[in-house]
Amino acid sequence: MHNIRNITDDLYWVGANDHRLALFENIHPLYHGVSYNAYLLLDEQTVLFDTADWSVGRQFLDNVTFALDGRTLDYLIINHVEPDHAASIQEILLRWPDVKVLTSPKAVILLHQFGFSLGKHAEEVHEGESRCFGKHTIAFVSAPMVHWPEAMVSFDTTDGVLFSADAFGSFRSLDGKLFADEFAFDREWLDDARRYYTNIVGKYGPQVQALLKKAGGLDIKVICPLHGPVWREDIGYILDKYVHWSTYEPEEKGVMIVYASMYGNTEAAAEVLAAKLAERGVTNTRLYDVSSTHVSYLISELFKYSHLVLASVTYNLGIFPPMHNFLMDMKALNLQNRTCAIVENGSWAPRSGALMREILESLKHIDLLDEGMTLTSALREEHLSEMDALADAVAASVLKK
Amino acid sequence: MMYQTTQAQEALRSKVREFAETEVKPLAFTLDQRNEFPREAVRKMGTLGLMGIPFEKKYGGAGLDVLSYAIAVEELARVDGGAGVILSAHTSLGTWPIYAYGTEEQKKKYLPDLLTGRKIGAFGLTEPNAGSDAGGTETTAEDMGDYYLLNGNKIFITNGGEADTYVVFAVTTPDIGVKGISVFIVEKGWEGFAFGDHYDKMGIRSSATCELLFNNVKVPKENLLGQLGKGFNIAMATLDGGRIGIAAQALGIAQGAFEAAVEYSKERVQFGRPICQQQSIAFKIADMATKLRAARLLVYSAADLKEAHAPYGMESAMAKQYASDIALEVTNDALQIFGGTGYLKGMEVERMYRDAKITTIYEGTNEIQRVVIASHVLGKLAKADDAPGRVKHGPETGVRKKQILTDGTAQERVDALVAALKKDGYDFTVGIPMDTPIAQAERVVSAGKGIGPKENMKLIENLARAAGAAIGSSRPVAETLQYLPLDRYVGMSGQKFRGNLYIACGISGAGQHLKGIKEASTIVAINLDPNAKIFKNCDYGIVGDVKDILPLLTAALDTGEKQAAPPMVKMKRAVAKKVTQPRKLYICNGCGYEYDLLQGDPESDVRPGTAFYELPEGWMCPHCGESADQFLAIDI
Repeated sequence: MHNIRNITDDLYWVGANDHRLALFENIHPLYHGVSYNAYLLLDEQTVLFDTADWSVGRQFLDNVTFALDGRTLDYLIINHVEPDHAASIQEILLRWPDVKVLTSPKAVILLHQFGFSLGKHAEEVHEGESRCFGKHTIAFVSAPMVHWPEAMVSFDTTDGVLFSADAFGSFRSLDGKLFADEFAFDREWLDDARRYYTNIVGKYGPQVQALLKKAGGLDIKVICPLHGPVWREDIGYILDKYVHWSTYEPEEKGVMIVYASMYGNTEAAAEVLAAKLAERGVTNTRLYDVSSTHVSYLISELFKYSHLVLASVTYNLGIFPPMHNFLMDMKALNLQNRTCAIVENGSWAPRSGALMREILESLKHIDLLDEGMTLTSALREEHLSEMDALADAVAASVLKK
Repeated sequence: MMYQTTQAQEALRSKVREFAETEVKPLAFTLDQRNEFPREAVRKMGTLGLMGIPFEKKYGGAGLDVLSYAIAVEELARVDGGAGVILSAHTSLGTWPIYAYGTEEQKKKYLPDLLTGRKIGAFGLTEPNAGSDAGGTETTAEDMGDYYLLNGNKIFITNGGEADTYVVFAVTTPDIGVKGISVFIVEKGWEGFAFGDHYDKMGIRSSATCELLFNNVKVPKENLLGQLGKGFNIAMATLDGGRIGIAAQALGIAQGAFEAAVEYSKERVQFGRPICQQQSIAFKIADMATKLRAARLLVYSAADLKEAHAPYGMESAMAKQYASDIALEVTNDALQIFGGTGYLKGMEVERMYRDAKITTIYEGTNEIQRVVIASHVLGKLAKADDAPGRVKHGPETGVRKKQILTDGTAQERVDALVAALKKDGYDFTVGIPMDTPIAQAERVVSAGKGIGPKENMKLIENLARAAGAAIGSSRPVAETLQYLPLDRYVGMSGQKFRGNLYIACGISGAGQHLKGIKEASTIVAINLDPNAKIFKNCDYGIVGDVKDILPLLTAALDTGEKQAAPPMVKMKRAVAKKVTQPRKLYICNGCGYEYDLLQGDPESDVRPGTAFYELPEGWMCPHCGESADQFLAIDI
């Protein structure tokens, strides 16, 4: 059964929601599903913007078929070839054999690699080109590495609609609503939007900056991303978030304490630190157990807060593996501009501190506080002065200015 | 190519020779004996126009050619090797870079005085860890906005202390090797610019050689010489020319020894005839003369090429290498001809024999000259693979806080020190016996030569008692002054301190002493000399007289009878802060790979330090093959 929403006079959302997917990209847990957005423009010619994952292929095809209302599909614009959006292409080609596929040269290569036979359907479009489909003229803007190298965004110059590919996307399914203003976005969606951006596109801040710069010259009225809600009001809100995330600037002054604890001793130390911070007036703190919190949440939170304290046991003379994984993910996602402190624990040969320091120092613009501490097995009376010094230093850094 | 000098060049030779014979030669023995710089003679060289021979008249130069300059150096060295190098270092090293790379303002400001000898020039490149390998330069010039802040030291500097202007090389961009080096004109007398003791050299003792010490010297922006980051190129170009001067000096020394030996061989009679009639001596003289002529032709032709602005780097290296190698042979043979007489002080050949040796060493050892020549012949093939990673030399004692307490009165500085130590966790209610062996001591109060007369050791004892510390000293205090038994001196060759707190009183910080305290958790330095090396190796420092500071510190730490200290817990030390070097990164639009000049691209044999624009034609992203024009530049 079809399930579509109208965006402007002749533009329709023809995507689908997926609640059954447990892991996005088979890595990031989803608890509230995800939407695969596709859009259909009914001009003198009909134009479909992207497709959907095969898992929702049937719903997607029902939607496109219904919205076309018996007309043929003239064009398919592929902004992004990642299979969660491109998996249904072949079916489109079979159902509407005269359709022309407009996409970037790199996308053509990648689609062939994935096994799609575009053949005569493919027409390459380049940065700066545009096509008129009747009333609407669509301009193509390349967006390399705004997730993948082939990516582009399409801009409807007639009514200011930006088809932004993975940019401005979010986890979470739409469930009947479509527009960001139909949700309490800040409360219900922002965390998922952040977790999506930081884990999927986080590494490519400079490229996102480059795209934002290009977009700055356009009169954008509506943003249609490939996941999550469509923006038609308060676009400045989401742009501001993107500026923070893509420049790796924290959204808030606050301390994230992430600990790796085998028997609760490091955990106890982390709790003591949090309490000491609260005593010093620093209450915007979040405490996470690295073993039981999926790293995508840790990364997302870290893009939000200004300060990070890592507390880890030493494990096989190294960093506790989940903590190591977190650090590797920070590096992979290009995290920068944070003030950090380190608490290491080790019963006979504490090593995790030096090793965590080494990784943090390999990130860009990380300010490592001198105050850090070494626990031998558990926090004891003798450590308290050091713990106080650590809390003093973190609090002073958070509260300054 | 010419094989004979011109009349004008020979006229200059006569003029310089007359000056050298009358004004320098009579002094040469005394200068050598007393390690004395011939100030008066150098002043007269200026009056005679010898201090600016190969420079344009409009700046006060003589407007003569490079060969004339080489002849002048040769003639001075012929009577005194030291006088030769004074002129060579002044002209080629101290003046030429300003002439070649200076702005018009810099030239107008400095050249008239330098070219007329009113002022003397010098050149500062060599450092304890950088000489042949300029990439090891550690002197830094930090851009402070309005000026550069110069810190570091230069060793073996010819004309050091006597010169008025110094062409100094310093790192302006760390971590990128020779591309991060720039040059500055530094004037004698600027605040923070001091000289070390004059070296007691084997030869060329009439030339002044000392260490240059830069301690927060403010260098005005306009004293940057040439472009930022082009220091290495300027150094290399300067040394190319400098080699002609050294080659001429070596030639002159050898010529002087040769002439003396020939003379002596005619006078000295053995077996009934002058020894020059012995074939063994005659053949020696023949060989010496041949080598001299070969060397002279090499030197003069290199000078001729430089004058003609033809490439001369290889030729000047050949001239320097050959002339200095044969200078050793010729002075050796000359001394041999003199026999036992030549072995005596006061004999010219004895001095020339010693003077000659330096010429195979300085301004590029002869080994480096061969590297230069080989690279000209073989091109890139002469280069071996990448040198093993450069080891960064920080302070000998590792990373230190280097907080020098300068604010307030002596009492306030001492109080600040005690507060800092307590904050670090030192408990002065406990202590160890004063005679605890150094290696087992948790704290040591140590005396250096700056402690003064023996009665001041009482100050050390009092402080040790108040700080709950054992007593130690530097090597000279135990070995030379014998204030303490030998087993209490701290250093690489003595006892090593591995405890927490080391209070160095009047210790300047000789390398071997510092190596003995590098394990200390905290080093406190108290010394009168703000330039003492110990201040670069300490966590806390107070500049002041031990006689004033120690009693104040003793009073501040005194808590009466000390409790016995618990077993030592090793305290934490300062850790190095990683500083991001501001630079551009280039990000591939095809895959996100980052090109960083600090890393280079080993897969494509691009060495670290290669700027993005210097990447070879056709370079592509090592990960995805995108071309260089598809990269996005970002600042970090």
